[in-house]
Amino acid sequence: MSLPELQNNYFQLFDLTEKFALDQTQLGVRYRQLQKELHPDRYASGSAYEQRLAVQYSALINEAYATLRKALPRALYLLELAGISREDVSGQKVDGGFLMAQMDLREKLMLLDELVDPQAALEDLLADIDVDVNQLHEEFSRAYSVGELPAAASACVKLQYLEKLLLEAEQVESRLIDNQT
Amino acid sequence: MALLNIAEPGQSPLPHQTKRAIGIDLGTTNSLVAAMQAGRAAILLDEQGVAMLPSVVNYTDAQMPLVGSGALALAVRHPADTLMSVKRFMGRGNRDAAGDAQRSHYELAEDEEGLVRFNTSSGERSPIEASADILRVLHQRALATLGSDIDGAVITVPAYFDEPQRQATKDAATLAGLRVLRLMNEPTAAAVAYGLDAAEHGVIAVYDLGGGTFDISILRLHKGVFEVLATGGDTALGGDDFDAALADWALRDIGSPSLAPGQYRQLQAAARAAKELLSNEAAVDLDLSGVLPSGGTIRVTREVFENLVQPLIKRTLVACRRCMRDAELDASIDNIIMVGGSTRVPLVREAVADFFQRPPLQGIDPDQVVALGAAIQADILVGNRPEGDLLLLDVIPLSLGIETMGGLVEKIVPRNTTIPVSRAQEFTTYKDGQTALAVHIVQGEREMVNDCRSLAHFELRGIPSMVAGAARIKVIFQVDADGLLNVSACEETTGSQANITVKPSFGLTDDQITTMLQASFSHAGGDKIARQLAEQRLAGWQLLEGLKSALTADGETLLSAEDRAAITAPMTELQALLEGQDADAIRTLTEHLGRQSETFANLRMDKSIREALAGVSLDTLDDEVLQ
Repeated sequence: MSLPELQNNYFQLFDLTEKFALDQTQLGVRYRQLQKELHPDRYASGSAYEQRLAVQYSALINEAYATLRKALPRALYLLELAGISREDVSGQKVDGGFLMAQMDLREKLMLLDELVDPQAALEDLLADIDVDVNQLHEEFSRAYSVGELPAAASACVKLQYLEKLLLEAEQVESRLIDNQT
Repeated sequence: MALLNIAEPGQSPLPHQTKRAIGIDLGTTNSLVAAMQAGRAAILLDEQGVAMLPSVVNYTDAQMPLVGSGALALAVRHPADTLMSVKRFMGRGNRDAAGDAQRSHYELAEDEEGLVRFNTSSGERSPIEASADILRVLHQRALATLGSDIDGAVITVPAYFDEPQRQATKDAATLAGLRVLRLMNEPTAAAVAYGLDAAEHGVIAVYDLGGGTFDISILRLHKGVFEVLATGGDTALGGDDFDAALADWALRDIGSPSLAPGQYRQLQAAARAAKELLSNEAAVDLDLSGVLPSGGTIRVTREVFENLVQPLIKRTLVACRRCMRDAELDASIDNIIMVGGSTRVPLVREAVADFFQRPPLQGIDPDQVVALGAAIQADILVGNRPEGDLLLLDVIPLSLGIETMGGLVEKIVPRNTTIPVSRAQEFTTYKDGQTALAVHIVQGEREMVNDCRSLAHFELRGIPSMVAGAARIKVIFQVDADGLLNVSACEETTGSQANITVKPSFGLTDDQITTMLQASFSHAGGDKIARQLAEQRLAGWQLLEGLKSALTADGETLLSAEDRAAITAPMTELQALLEGQDADAIRTLTEHLGRQSETFANLRMDKSIREALAGVSLDTLDDEVLQ
């Protein structure tokens, strides 16, 4: 079990089954356990080579944890393992209805500042996005588990749209916070 | 010298030989040093029994820089020679430091590298050199108190320090002759000082308002693992600004007379004294002697003071709110830790308690908590606690990115990513036969390169000549546990290694450090050769120690008798050499032994992974029972 071997599969690194639904507690426990053994702090008085090695291992564990911890990077990673690259995912066609709904949400976000209670409106909007995100998680999980990879990829690309929207919502929220504090 | 006490070849030294490690809080206004004493972290005092060393250096006398309260006493008479709050200038360029310098009445020297240097009557000094002079005094204090050589030090930095500021701090420690075990974030150090006995779970917020910097960090504690979730702050906001606000108010009140640099210093000192008294009193008199020819005082009420600092406190709360959002908490904050002398201001405590809806923890002196935490971490890192009861997982405070077309920034490592981290980025050529490529690395959150901090320009040379777009150059950005950046690159289609020339935008090149180191040795009258020998011995001794314990633990199981002999033979040889005087021979053999033991190190890492995973199932059970 050496570094290049581990790089092949993050699920193996954490001794987890390769699927979308994942036990976060177990992931966290294994992450901390691995870092306790391999973090550069454990080798601070070791040889220069050991220190370099520890930085590499520890960085890999951090990367693997960051990839598996959140739903979208985890979904993209599963597709990558199945031979579908990120470019393939981005190239997926999205149905018109979804795009229309996206434009609608974005418009709401842009007009937020003009409302009497923008904070409350933003929270409503975030709740709506949350519902969509959860539905897409379920859709991905279903499609992936039965091997319908194009459908899984399509759910992924929609999640990417929503992720971008959430990022913009965060920027709006940050502006609202700055204005009121 | 402790490192000469080496056991006979083949005989292992004392089973638990304790190493000496110190924690240093290199503060804007005051610095402290701490170490483990009788099993507890304790602040080390100077000969007069004083804990805090004012972070002030006076360079009026070229031969003898004066550090601490002696220098502080000269601040009024020699304002340009007396460097205070140099931490604010660490790793900064002349241009972005000009405002601060003017306010502090320093004269900046012109420097083509863009690095800040102060003009003093005994020549130019950099903030790094001034910091090294402060560190040297603390190092001496530790030597005097602990009575033996220091094996390593943990130096604390504000969590929000960017890469050049961290590098400058490490350079200063190297100049002061310290072996840096780790640069540790101040809020994390404070959490460690409070949380060692806690085998508990919980979310901790650390609010750190020091003399010149503000940090907010949110951590999750989980069975001895401190995981930093998010960090934020402002590297140019602190108690100094409280003093300045009060001084400026007083100045306006007396009709804004123009003051000489020394007089302004005096007014600032008077404002600081008034601020400190106002923590316990409703109104105080601010001393104007030395500022106005007639002397006298003006009355400051706590209300006036609070109105002056209110906007500054608000700025800290904005950073707190942003940090809370970055942390993506699914639970509330369980504990708040206050760090830094400025948190003694009652309005600060009230505002923070109000914001987090919880009273802050008391118990450890907010001025000492960072140094104490650093001492605990230093003790662990130097290897005094082999069981490793504590682990810190820290983050990078500001995003790292590269310049792309049109002066835009593409983020490579986003802020609050856990370190160490390694990210690869592919580049290609845009012209036929192109053999070099320029990469500009920046740090910051803004979209445009000009709004971010420029870290370095890299030039990749020796790319094989190909048609445009055919070369695939992979550049790997690695941030280590100190938050420092390393870059490497290779051309993937041919596998050839591209050379990297690094030109740091700020900070020192290795050559400059070497020159400064040599200068400081001759300056101190020390013997350079003796120094080199001591350093080589220390390196050799450390490798031997590490290998001995590694062999005891895993030698039998992981290595064949033949492989073991390939390591133990040079070990015996090195052991003998360490008793001699040949620094070159020691270095050569230490390097050889280091390479010889690389495979063994790999095997041990693999074993660690297997054991970590094997140990997990029971742990998981525990967790499930708990929930």
